[in-house]
Amino acid sequence: MAEYQNLFTSVQPVGPLHDGVALPRGDDKRLGTPFLFHLLGRIGNAQIGPVYLGTLGVASLLFGTLAFNIIGFNMLASVDWSPIELIRQLFWLALEPPPPAFGLGIPPLAQGGWWLIVGFMLTVSILLWWTRTYRRARQLGLGTHVAWAYAAAIWLYLVCGLFRPIMMGSWSEAVPFGIFPHLDWVSALSLRYGNLFYNPFHALSIVFLYGSVLLFAMHGATILAVSRFGGEREIEQIVDRGTASERAALFWRWTMGFNATMESIHRWAWWFAVLCPLVGGVGILLTGTVVDNWYLWSVNHHVAPAYPLVSPTVLDPAILGAKP
Amino acid sequence: MSMLSFERKYRVRGGTLVGGDLFDFWVGPFYVGFFGVTTLFFALSGTMMILWGAAMGPTWNPWQINIAPPDLSYGLRFAPMMEGGLWQLITVCAIGAFVSWALREVEICRKLGMGLHVPVAFGMAILAYVSLQVIRPVLMGAWGHAFPYGIYSHLDWVSNTAYQYLHFHYNPWHMIAASLFFATVLALSMHGGLVLSATNPGHGQAVKSPEHEDTFFRDLIGYSVGTLGIHRLGLFLALAGVWFGIVCIVVSGPFWTGAWPEWWSWWLNMPIWRS
Amino acid sequence: MKTSLRLLLAALVPAAAALLSGCERPPIETVQTGFRGTGMEQIYNPRTLLKQASLNQAPVATEAASADGPKAKDIYKNVQVLGDLSVAQFNRHMASITQWVAPDAGCAYCHNLENFAEDTKYTKVVARRMIQMTQRVNQDWKAHVAETGVTCYTCHRGNNIPANVWFAPKDRKYTTNSVMGDLAGQNLASKSVGLTSLPFDPFTPYLKDAAPIRVNGNTAMVLRGDAVNRSSTKQAEHTYSLMVHMSESLGVNCTYCHNTRNFASWEESRPQRVTAWHGIRMARDLNNDYMTPLTDTFPAHRLGPKGDVAKVNCTTCHQGAYKPLYGAAMAKDFPELQAVAKP
Repeated sequence: MAEYQNLFTSVQPVGPLHDGVALPRGDDKRLGTPFLFHLLGRIGNAQIGPVYLGTLGVASLLFGTLAFNIIGFNMLASVDWSPIELIRQLFWLALEPPPPAFGLGIPPLAQGGWWLIVGFMLTVSILLWWTRTYRRARQLGLGTHVAWAYAAAIWLYLVCGLFRPIMMGSWSEAVPFGIFPHLDWVSALSLRYGNLFYNPFHALSIVFLYGSVLLFAMHGATILAVSRFGGEREIEQIVDRGTASERAALFWRWTMGFNATMESIHRWAWWFAVLCPLVGGVGILLTGTVVDNWYLWSVNHHVAPAYPLVSPTVLDPAILGAKP
Repeated sequence: MSMLSFERKYRVRGGTLVGGDLFDFWVGPFYVGFFGVTTLFFALSGTMMILWGAAMGPTWNPWQINIAPPDLSYGLRFAPMMEGGLWQLITVCAIGAFVSWALREVEICRKLGMGLHVPVAFGMAILAYVSLQVIRPVLMGAWGHAFPYGIYSHLDWVSNTAYQYLHFHYNPWHMIAASLFFATVLALSMHGGLVLSATNPGHGQAVKSPEHEDTFFRDLIGYSVGTLGIHRLGLFLALAGVWFGIVCIVVSGPFWTGAWPEWWSWWLNMPIWRS
Repeated sequence: MKTSLRLLLAALVPAAAALLSGCERPPIETVQTGFRGTGMEQIYNPRTLLKQASLNQAPVATEAASADGPKAKDIYKNVQVLGDLSVAQFNRHMASITQWVAPDAGCAYCHNLENFAEDTKYTKVVARRMIQMTQRVNQDWKAHVAETGVTCYTCHRGNNIPANVWFAPKDRKYTTNSVMGDLAGQNLASKSVGLTSLPFDPFTPYLKDAAPIRVNGNTAMVLRGDAVNRSSTKQAEHTYSLMVHMSESLGVNCTYCHNTRNFASWEESRPQRVTAWHGIRMARDLNNDYMTPLTDTFPAHRLGPKGDVAKVNCTTCHQGAYKPLYGAAMAKDFPELQAVAKP
């Protein structure tokens, strides 16, 4: 059945480009003349631009670019200023937080000082950007749901980089800036604290992570499946339910016995996505501050399974008084 | 009846793949269909077997119940029931139930005149399950390589399987899959937030339009993918994440036996910068 | 075929080939090391294993020499070790050492051929101490080497210097005065830690010094006061780097010793973990009591970039095999290497 599945737009009607809904008096003018990018138009909108720069945006980009550059130059310095080695070893390079010996004190620049500066600048950049997402919504007369979703991600970022290191009394507990090094941090945290799979908040966060992937696959597929009825016009369908929403709802009702509405599915979506970093951040914050070993915690709470032993009994040689 | 206010006009005959009118009816809100019957059969059998396995085991604690696959020594043969055979039968029932569910979804789509995107997307999830429990074990020569059925025990399998490669985070396909998973959560939060912000603009405000949605993201980042595009993007990110997850685990073992960090030596030793 | 599709294929095929070139293929060998379904397994590529087995063969020992006749220390001058062997046994041992350590250079590698008794060559002084080291391993470290034991070949494999020794890592070009780019001892692609970005010198703290390796506590909750577990996440990275080295050295993965759901527990670990525990202590013993005191004996070109002597780690003996030479028992043919001689 060679039926069109609406995965790629085959015919792109081109009309006047949209300069955006008018902004209230206090705002700046938008930047850039919008243009069309045809290939993009096969997937979504073809129009690129205009963008709203604004004070918050410029400040955020400034701090962010500065942070990015400090990270980059430290990486370059760490390979003896060789640009070739920078590219070759890029995934391995990092800007490290201070070593444990410095606690929460200000360390020398070379030994974690740059990391602190970058952390501060990146945080300012992120918070400025958050304010921008809030303000842009308000200026357009929209709700601030996107900003509050972003806040959940900021929560996790701050837990990993600020709150937990402070509660642990050591900047060294924070995450390094680097591709492989930040993955080493993830493994090290799990190794140190008795296997993070046994952290119930971590498990719940994963439920919301996989659940979000499941939900977006379900929702994306459902809307595409009813796009022939205008299903992607979600705002109109929410305000005035059409056959697209009705069929979409009935599909799920007949499949699993219950359904959402065109509006409520977006609430399911928002909450699943937001709860992933929210709950995950709680789990990280409790690690090392309240719980020292999640596996032992799970044993105490009777959730760790027991397996028959298949090896001969093993005893700790250190306790046995073996040769040290 | 448990019908929605607008439902009656949609309850028409037709769309079935197998069985014609025989099972073309609803029980409460659930559509049955031939594949509803097979789903029920496989799901009930599988569940009964899980419960029986739990009864034969040391605990009824739902966190600790564990139905394990056979020892590697059984290879790809049938194992005795208490030595992993039960696990094998449950796996057959699971695949039967999942495939039945997908085919039932197809029948429902056909009846409602919808595209088949949902069952196809579900097919990717089924492929993930089958890859983990059938394809990879077959490639490695034993059912025992598959994960056990148990809430915490399956996590122990994940941990040990990952550490077989010393540092699984360095698996490049795992890196891509994880990035796609996180991108999916990001995109979902943005899409859910955007639609809700337009339809719930705050006290006293009028509901906004798609032009407002587009303007918000163009103001923010210079581009808005649009109402149709976001659903394509979301479906793609989710399915691509699962796809690369499948790739990352099927490769681990059958096509790579060493430590994953070592895989990167090809990059480090490229002729242009081999020192 | 549409041009765009052709272009896509033209890009994808070489990319796929590049990606797949780092790959192996089924069938593979697996060994279960834990309860079924826990995922504790060793995985081997049989083709790689075959090649490795052929590269890790023990040489055939020459026939044992007769113990009759005068002792070596009575006939030869300046015999400080192995003196109680008969001359025949002594000569057999010397021939074996030559085969194990200097097959090309021959006796001249250690001896002045005009006067074998002289200690003018540093190699002779080192070799004498190494014989004692070998005896020590076989006598006092049975907890690690059991009855299989070691000979000079176990490390040297026909090389003057064993293929895998370690030195303290060299300083970078722009180091002490730089305000940027501190590596913090990690974050470079290092072969010593299996190409991870983990700390690239796990040897100095753990195989020379006796830094604590354990990072886990015994309690679920964080304790206060004296009982608190002070290990940091950073320390866990250091321990991890040692573990990566050990795994790579033996050609095994973490589940060879551990059930990774609870790394710390000895009850859930395999007996091999105890053997490894002794191996770490043995490496420290050899590095501190035998190698480091020899630093001034070696000429500069044999020392590391920071002037330290070559030291042993797990790879020095194991060289990718779970037991050196896949468990071939060489020491049994050389009883003189199995005990430290009484003074």
